[in-house]
Amino acid sequence: MAAVIDGTGLTKRFGTGDATVVAVDSVDIRIEESELVMIMGDSGCGKTTLISLLGCILTPDAGELRIDGELIDPMKKDLSVIRHEKIGFVFQLFHLLPYLTALENVMVAMDIASTKTSEAERRATELLTQVGLSARFDHRPAQLSGGEKQRVSFARALANRPKIVFADEPTANLDSRQSDNLMNLIQELRREHQTTIAIVTHHEGLKENADRIIHMKDGRIVTP
Amino acid sequence: MKTLFLKDMRYRRARVVLTALGITVLISLILLLGGIMNGMRIQARQYVEFTGADVWISAEGSGGAFIGFSMVVEEYMAFLNSGPGLVPDSASPLVFAQARPTVRGKSTKAIVVGYKLGQLGGPKRAIEGKMFTPSNFEDYRPEDPVPYEVVVDEKMGLEIGEQITLSNEKVRVVGKAKSLMFVLDTPLLFMDVRIAQKLLLGNTPHVNMMIAKTDTNEQPVRVSESLDALETIEARTLNQTLGDIIAYYVDEPMKAVQFLRVMLWLAAGILIGMITYVTMLEKTQEIGVLKAIGGSNGYVMGLLLKQVVLISAVGVVLGLILSYVFAAAAPIFVAINFVESIIVVCISFVVCCGSGYLAARKAIAVDPMIAFRGEI
Repeated sequence: MAAVIDGTGLTKRFGTGDATVVAVDSVDIRIEESELVMIMGDSGCGKTTLISLLGCILTPDAGELRIDGELIDPMKKDLSVIRHEKIGFVFQLFHLLPYLTALENVMVAMDIASTKTSEAERRATELLTQVGLSARFDHRPAQLSGGEKQRVSFARALANRPKIVFADEPTANLDSRQSDNLMNLIQELRREHQTTIAIVTHHEGLKENADRIIHMKDGRIVTP
Repeated sequence: MKTLFLKDMRYRRARVVLTALGITVLISLILLLGGIMNGMRIQARQYVEFTGADVWISAEGSGGAFIGFSMVVEEYMAFLNSGPGLVPDSASPLVFAQARPTVRGKSTKAIVVGYKLGQLGGPKRAIEGKMFTPSNFEDYRPEDPVPYEVVVDEKMGLEIGEQITLSNEKVRVVGKAKSLMFVLDTPLLFMDVRIAQKLLLGNTPHVNMMIAKTDTNEQPVRVSESLDALETIEARTLNQTLGDIIAYYVDEPMKAVQFLRVMLWLAAGILIGMITYVTMLEKTQEIGVLKAIGGSNGYVMGLLLKQVVLISAVGVVLGLILSYVFAAAAPIFVAINFVESIIVVCISFVVCCGSGYLAARKAIAVDPMIAFRGEI
């Protein structure tokens, strides 16, 4: 299988001098196409920093990253372009824009990618229907439950047909029923869209859904 | 999603409306202050131009007619009436003095213009009623029985036959003149020069200035220069007098207002910059999320600038409209120059957009990592 993510020696430090913290330390990571990977570890072990590096939000201080075979070089290509072309994000706190409806929140990701409005609306409608929110198109985030917000968030992440979706603690603010529903949905979406998914989570109960678990400790990938 | 920025503005409408209103008020104030100054300039010019005089003569060292304290002896009249370059017998004595007449029991501001009826310096006829009874200027003696009569500005609202009190003397309104308000809507009271001398200059045989017309073949500048060479008097042309009067009555006192106008511009810029910046701080998380999901700095900047441009445009256009409304309702003469107001509006728009741009530039520096923390 082709690697969607292929990172070698990825390192990220924060601070200077004695206060330097190595959040990600020489990590080699490979995520294959259509894989569902879970990144687990204690708080502060570097999980979020790692997906920020893999999601091109942060640039590594050392190491090399390829996404879908393309070597990432911020000097050659704006990282924002890579983010909207190849990556989808789902955040712990959903981060839907409060002034937009569910439909518009999905459309905004495509607006960024300069998709025509009619096409964006068609796809957003399709995605929201897939995530079971066909009756919620015109609802604003404040009118949606936590689980519904996270579904909109997943629909937004899938809007530009990304190579990989990174989800940061997507079930942290959901109850167990909502978590189960969301995981079922993730599996379904993965089958439907052939999308690679990497989930950062503390939630041990989600393990069974993963193809592979990556454990992190002190900025490194470890064998449990 | 061309309306994304509008949806955001609608969501934060209270702040948007307040910002636009703030700009509206500031711009209308800037335009109003300019209109007040412009009105003062127009009023400063209109009486001087109305007289039709080409040369203005005041006492040496007075700094020019209307400026400093000027008392000129009447003996110059004979000299000027046969003076080189001047129209024979065109020279006219003029008393031009600020006064506080009591009108209908209320002390009010006015300027008394004492002149020789039929000569330069005041109207030749009244638009209502009649002109005052003239004295025999050349052979005048203080005990001569000249009635205290005045022709008032039509806008004073006085009726023919009414009496006003000037220097403790009753003066009867006999006519109304076409409005020629002086600076800051100060009405002019036209009366015989001898009565003006009696009431305001302690009955001295002096006048504040003399005015005359130059021969059509002569250049007023040359005539004025030759008269100015004489000791004890100063002579100015019409243009010099207008320059003096505008500098003295408008530009110098209005320096503070000009400064205030610049400050208001600055305030408008700071207002929109500050509110844009505060709004951006509030939207930090949103900006971070937009960037995290692939929005480039240009995309986010575009959203922010569209808002800044729209708020600024609405603010300055409403400011322009409001300034005309205020001008119509103002208790003093306000003359907003349309071309000047368009220039002011354009500059204000640039100032507002510029400061909004600076605030937006700061805001887009947000790290998209912020999307992994906190709530929107």
